[in-house]
Amino acid sequence: MLQTVKPVLTKVVIVAVLAVMITTAAVIATATVSNDSSDEGVLLSPMNSMVQKYSLDPDKYLTEFNYGRVSTMPDGTTLREFTLIAEDVQIEVSPGVYFNAWAYNGTVPGPTIRATEGDSVRVEFLNKGSHPHTIHFHGIHAGDMDGVIEWVYPGGRFVYEFTAEPFGVFLYHCHVNPIEEHINRGLYGAYIVDPKTPRPAATEMVMLLNGYDTDFDTENNFYTVNGVAFHYMHKPITIKTGEPVRIYMINLLEFDQINNFHLHGNVFKLYRTGTILTNYELTDMFTMSQAERGMIEFTYKYPGMYMFHAHKIEFADKGWNGFFNVVEGETTDGGVT
Amino acid sequence: MNSKLLLMAVLPLFILGGVVYYLMGPGTSFLYTTLPLPDVTIENAVFKQGKIIVNIRNTGQDTVTIAQADINDRPWEALIKPTNVLPRLATAEVIMKYPWMEGVPYQIGITTSDGTRFAYEVKTAAPTPEPNFELLSYFAILGSYVGIVPVMIGLLWFPFMNRISKQWYNFFLSLTAGLLVFLAVDALKESFEITHSIAGAFRGEVLIVTATVATILVLMMLANRITIKTVKTGAMEVKTKQLYGLSLSYMVATGIGLHNLGEGLAIGAAVAVGALALSKFLVVGFAIHNTTEGLAIIAPIAKQKARIMHLLALGLIAGAPTIAGTWIGGFTYMPVASIVFLAIGAGAIFQVVYAIFNWMNKEMESKITLPHNVAGFIVGIVIMYLTGLLVAG
Repeated sequence: MLQTVKPVLTKVVIVAVLAVMITTAAVIATATVSNDSSDEGVLLSPMNSMVQKYSLDPDKYLTEFNYGRVSTMPDGTTLREFTLIAEDVQIEVSPGVYFNAWAYNGTVPGPTIRATEGDSVRVEFLNKGSHPHTIHFHGIHAGDMDGVIEWVYPGGRFVYEFTAEPFGVFLYHCHVNPIEEHINRGLYGAYIVDPKTPRPAATEMVMLLNGYDTDFDTENNFYTVNGVAFHYMHKPITIKTGEPVRIYMINLLEFDQINNFHLHGNVFKLYRTGTILTNYELTDMFTMSQAERGMIEFTYKYPGMYMFHAHKIEFADKGWNGFFNVVEGETTDGGVT
Repeated sequence: MNSKLLLMAVLPLFILGGVVYYLMGPGTSFLYTTLPLPDVTIENAVFKQGKIIVNIRNTGQDTVTIAQADINDRPWEALIKPTNVLPRLATAEVIMKYPWMEGVPYQIGITTSDGTRFAYEVKTAAPTPEPNFELLSYFAILGSYVGIVPVMIGLLWFPFMNRISKQWYNFFLSLTAGLLVFLAVDALKESFEITHSIAGAFRGEVLIVTATVATILVLMMLANRITIKTVKTGAMEVKTKQLYGLSLSYMVATGIGLHNLGEGLAIGAAVAVGALALSKFLVVGFAIHNTTEGLAIIAPIAKQKARIMHLLALGLIAGAPTIAGTWIGGFTYMPVASIVFLAIGAGAIFQVVYAIFNWMNKEMESKITLPHNVAGFIVGIVIMYLTGLLVAG
């Protein structure tokens, strides 16, 4: 009985094999053809889209100088009092990427502190974060005001007191171990000391160059100026032709050896560290190593859109670039340098 | 009585459900003492004219949101379909317009919303073939040369096998077993290699072992049934023997067919990603290698009369899956399927080897441990090893 079944079975097998193969071909053909047509989906575009939440405000940061609560001491010295609070915050550093930062006053970079040479500076520090922190200022001060040994634990308080000296461009940052981590998390800011005789009038800005290692592999994933990747690409900084511009620039990048600033369509006066009033270098490149900083001054001759960015292109690609939108000034006379 | 039994069966499940609800239901939080780490697997990269497309899968514990994509660690604009929010094990397609160059290595990266980056290396970029009639037929011809033609040539040993002495016949049966063991081990090796390219969540290694063992058991069960049936027909002993030989041949052909499906998948996939420069030498190598498979198929029926239709069917079953394999491997990306097919093939072959030993023992009254049979087994392995060198690298 089985013998009679077998030949039929053979034909069935051959037909089945062929049928399976034909359907396979058909399925593959239809599946892959219908694949590529629709444009539905979500566009991920770090360069061409804005961050959504804007937990940070680079526009405000750019021109916001904090002079403190000002009073005069019995000996006639100006006293400037500041309060900095360390806290844990989540910030959007690049479109769609949220970083669990540690920040002074909730922003990265922290507020820009500004005083005049010889002023008495008093910074009250409250730690509302979940890790010990300090504030370590660059500049001249006593050893016990250095923010290295005296760790301020969560819930703790410390008051840093010193005289603002010398004049120049400085910075402050947390100095608790592991320091790299505390800096990477965002605990830093600009500290500017003006000379007693004010510098010539100009439109003043702060540019703090930083990076974020968001996956903690000791390599930066994002690079920014003033905290948010590509921000000034979407919102160019508007200035006028003939308008003198002064930028205090600080490099707070960790992990990478250098960072730099390149200005398009112009050259600038570079005052390294901002501690000398007269000597400057005329250039379009300013290269800084860790925690180095300086002051640059320039005036645009022609209107237009001008890029500024790290000339280490990797950094620019990962967020550290922006635009100046130079518009025609109303008057080109009137004492501009 | 029956309802009591049902209760006994269901009660533990109810309690388990309660525990699961307690652990995962709304309002419980103690399982989330730490944040689960995101894990995204980039499964493959497809290179088209001015475009790089990667398929990604969320292989982590929780839903992830894809924030950015990059090429060579530089952020790049990407369209992600259907959406950038991926539940556990969900997949998405990431399309990037990029002027990639052939023969150049690329690294594709995906960054999740918490800033974690996952990368995928492409050794050399090559255009992924578009499925069209021309390429389908190219693969069909390729599959024929690698699968059907050599198996059919191998079948031509039938008259030779038919005429040799019983001892030599047993030698060749053992040789066949050697060939098959080599094929099965080779298939297992191949499938374990593929596990490296799939997400850990799929537990590729466990899948291989399970599929192999399950296949062996299922085929043994089926083989048992065939034997019992032949005993029932028992009127003419010679004919039952013939039937058993024929079913054994069909089992060998099926096992080899599954193996060749896996081989076809590998060839198709390699051609598709440009990893395999398909030289004439390689095709010739596969052809020589696979000719031995024909010998293995006809060995069990060599001592009896065979219809030509049976031989044709056996050749098709063993060879044709190669073509299907090259199609599937060349135009789709299914590494988990490849693993399962290869494991099933390996299991099928192991069962066949067992059946051959059984057959020799019972019907041929010749043990595998006899010197000439051991020699045949080893020669079989050596032949596979040497012809395998032709396709290595």
